[in-house]
Amino acid sequence: MMSNKVLSLGASFPEFNKKAVVSIEKGKEFYDLSYEEIKNSGKWMVMFWWPKDFTFVCPTEIAEFNKHYPDFADRDAVLVGASTDSEFVHVAWRRDHEDLRGLQFPMLADTSKSLATELGILESEEKVAYRATFIVDPQGIVRWVSMYDLNVGRNVKEVLRVLDALQTDELCPCNWQKGEATLNA
Amino acid sequence: MFGIATESNAALSLLQELGLAESHLSPNLQALAAADSKYLRDLKINVTNALGTETLNKKEAYLLALSVAANEKVTSLQEAFTAQAIANGATDKEVAEVLACTSLLNANNVYYRFRHFMHEEFYNTAQAGIRMSIMANPVLGKEFFELVSLVVSALNGCELCVTSHEKTLVGHGTTKQRIHDAVRLGAVLKSLTALM
Repeated sequence: MMSNKVLSLGASFPEFNKKAVVSIEKGKEFYDLSYEEIKNSGKWMVMFWWPKDFTFVCPTEIAEFNKHYPDFADRDAVLVGASTDSEFVHVAWRRDHEDLRGLQFPMLADTSKSLATELGILESEEKVAYRATFIVDPQGIVRWVSMYDLNVGRNVKEVLRVLDALQTDELCPCNWQKGEATLNA
Repeated sequence: MFGIATESNAALSLLQELGLAESHLSPNLQALAAADSKYLRDLKINVTNALGTETLNKKEAYLLALSVAANEKVTSLQEAFTAQAIANGATDKEVAEVLACTSLLNANNVYYRFRHFMHEEFYNTAQAGIRMSIMANPVLGKEFFELVSLVVSALNGCELCVTSHEKTLVGHGTTKQRIHDAVRLGAVLKSLTALM
């Protein structure tokens, strides 16, 4: 019996440095994306995984994330898509599929599966990633994880709702409850 | 970042969200955009979330937004919200009723606020003498008419009106969450009008 241990709330998101596809324009396709760069930007990170390129549920879901790309940017969050496919498969898929040509976020290629393994999101049979979504705060701490089985699509609005909830601190003194000592801001 | 240029003008993207042309860029919005104020993005998120709440459908959300724009006398927003309300199924009669309700509540908010400031027998028992016939059989339905009344009263700060309309709504079976979301919509859109 195998047990999956998914990286969970409060854990530090692991460092990585991998090829990512950022464009379909010749010569501008690839970029070395590291977690260090994202962390240094002082932004939040939303990383979502899918099992395999060139499958059916994925493009719909990925297009939906892309549609909301400006909403993530408004919330100071870097959106990253990832799977265990190689960067060459990613770029071929993006060129091949109409809905994927205009993607605005980087597609990470975890070809060695090292990151998916560290995150604990590999399905045991095929060694592909489950539909995992991570929200990581600017300090590099995992603040939300959701895991969907291979064929279950996600609701991007729910991801935005959670991000809002994590980011919205009521700093107004009007919200003081009786008995609370001070306002920590 | 990542070789992808994504920085856009936050003030323009807010206007776009509201269905307003670039020509409506106010000096206030311009000043915040020029200073690259983080607040513009917060405001856009607040507005989007307030209008997109689950307890109000789109037509209701835009009609409430319309009452705020009318109450705060911001013509550009009023036009944009009217167009959105109609696009989401509101009739001309319903739009007109929201305006009428907003106007009537402006009278009531001042008048009843005076009463509750004074707490005096004479004023409390005097005949108001203000015609309120539109309250009798609203095309918006009584519940939604009450909701508009509550939001306008909250904007204009009449305690007596706020508590009375809230009580009536609860009596109609309106959930507290819907009441809360309607008032939040009013509050957030008022913050928008301050910059228009």
